[in-house]
Amino acid sequence: MFIGELQRYVTRLQNPNNVSFLIQKVCPMSLANISVHQVVKNYHKDRIEIPVLNGLDLTIPAGQFSVLMGPSGSGKSTLLHLIGGLDRPTSGTIQVGDFNLDRMSDSELTRWRSRHVGFIFQMYHLIPVLTAAENVELPLLLFSMSSHERKQRVATALQVVGLTDRMDHRPNQLSGGQEQRVAIARAIVTDPDVILADEPTGDLDAKTSEEILNLLNILNKEFGKTILLVTHDPRAAAHGQRILHLDKGILSQEKEAVCVT
Amino acid sequence: MALPLFYSWRNLLVRRLSTSLTLLLITVIVVVLAVLLSFAAGIRQTLKNSGHRDRVIVLKPGSTAESTSVLFPEETNLLVQTPGIRFDPSGQPLISIELCIQTSLPRLGYQDSFANVAVRGVDPVAFAIRPEIQIVEGRLFDSGALEVIVGEAASKRFGNLKIDGEISLGRLGNRLYKVVGIFRANNSSFESEIWAPRSMITTAYSGHYTSSATIQCIDESQAQTAINYIKGPSVKLQAQKETDYYQELARTTRQLVVLSVILIAIMGLGAVFAMANTMYAAVDHRRREFAMLRTLGFSRIAIQLTIFIESLLTCLVSCIIGLLIGSAFIAMNIEQDFISDVSFSSLTYQLRMTPTIMISCLILACGVGIAGALAPAVRASRIPILEALRKA
Repeated sequence: MFIGELQRYVTRLQNPNNVSFLIQKVCPMSLANISVHQVVKNYHKDRIEIPVLNGLDLTIPAGQFSVLMGPSGSGKSTLLHLIGGLDRPTSGTIQVGDFNLDRMSDSELTRWRSRHVGFIFQMYHLIPVLTAAENVELPLLLFSMSSHERKQRVATALQVVGLTDRMDHRPNQLSGGQEQRVAIARAIVTDPDVILADEPTGDLDAKTSEEILNLLNILNKEFGKTILLVTHDPRAAAHGQRILHLDKGILSQEKEAVCVT
Repeated sequence: MALPLFYSWRNLLVRRLSTSLTLLLITVIVVVLAVLLSFAAGIRQTLKNSGHRDRVIVLKPGSTAESTSVLFPEETNLLVQTPGIRFDPSGQPLISIELCIQTSLPRLGYQDSFANVAVRGVDPVAFAIRPEIQIVEGRLFDSGALEVIVGEAASKRFGNLKIDGEISLGRLGNRLYKVVGIFRANNSSFESEIWAPRSMITTAYSGHYTSSATIQCIDESQAQTAINYIKGPSVKLQAQKETDYYQELARTTRQLVVLSVILIAIMGLGAVFAMANTMYAAVDHRRREFAMLRTLGFSRIAIQLTIFIESLLTCLVSCIIGLLIGSAFIAMNIEQDFISDVSFSSLTYQLRMTPTIMISCLILACGVGIAGALAPAVRASRIPILEALRKA
């Protein structure tokens, strides 16, 4: 089923009008290098300081599909959230593109997130009372654009994830895989530089997981999105160009990308 | 940028039960407020219609109403000297000496229910002073006959007060007076009264006294001059503008308004807690949702605004329903009467739904909405994003 959609997608790709807004930044023109330098993150629980990341260094070149693996509690999601501006490091610096996140205020970070980062979570986090199209449209409400342009972008994003025929369905009328695809459409509709995916296949069966991962591959390869995927699943990790292991705050690299095109 | 209105609306529809219960509570409060205020507005309007600023009413010092005032001829005779009086074309001063007594009559539509109705004995000059008195059915009474005319409101509310009806008046109640006319008086309190020839009423009650005198002055400023004179050493009677007199009779309505405000304040406080409870539950239920909206880039203010809009939408719908129910109630019970605690006679008035009442209800509903949503809105905007997303 998804293969057929892929073929249709390729056909659409040949018509630039369909996905014009997404192919503005085709690899290797993506702008957002991610640079994490000497990042320390400690949590406090009952007055006890729990170190999670201890002086971590990492650079992710723009346009790379990186995968972050590691045991539970190793700090994978924490690192993802720090890069996404959802949390702040105890010390150290995080640079995404031209933006030094640790120098930004809360409101600046909120605004930055809306324009530069697309988030995909394991539990999709769609708004239950909104349809698929309305969920995808939500981030665009933060942009100054006409309703017509918003609708066009939503339609295109849903086309990319193959859910045009489900745009008027609410989340409870969609399968898990469809919900995750809506979440992906919501993540890409603003044309972000970086897509951060926190175990996006953790709640899906193997076949649907494969579909979602293929979709992420397309976003990376065809649209040049920088992707950081957190996962426990080695099969999911195999889709990345680079696999990073995080354990007890120590980062090791297992597989380097051959070519980012 | 705020979240779309339909997002708030749909969320209200999702939690139907809690929204409906809160809505019901606020609706009840709005209905109570609307009806209580319409009572007060109706009474106030009736009494307001009864007074004119260029007329002066004279009573015995210490009296609070015509029904408790006794004036003797030697006192009323002094009033012709009052400065500022208007004279009729024949040169007669426009002073109406009147006798007010009460009679008990059965209320229509109620079994064994009686109420005091004011009977006013007047001379022809009373009609010259009060041009608002218009006979709408039948005719005016003859001065020397056992005849009365009845205010339209009294005619509708009490038995035997239609044309050709008969009522017993006099100290022993042994004189039958025939109703020969129905009059209107610009929706004033006079429409709740029975008017008869003063000479006949005086005889029936075996008295030589009267209750009050009403003086038509040249204008409002002359009314004050007249009051000063009457209160002064030459006459030594109590005098006030008609408007002030009827405002004092409306004292009951002020008490009603104060009681209404206290009652509504207590009910409103309950509604605020109910609204806060509903919104807290909604916020706790949607922690993930708000966290995701913050993740997407919506500001804390946008989240707060959403909570306020949901609360205000509930209150606005309650207000509309409440006003509709209140208006329906008022339409079904348009004419009411109450016994003034000052005059001890029945006053018929019309319930009134005024723009002020509607705005008051709207302010109350919005106040409940804003106060009830305040704390939940702050909580919603302060939800720790990561904690909420992790607990999903």
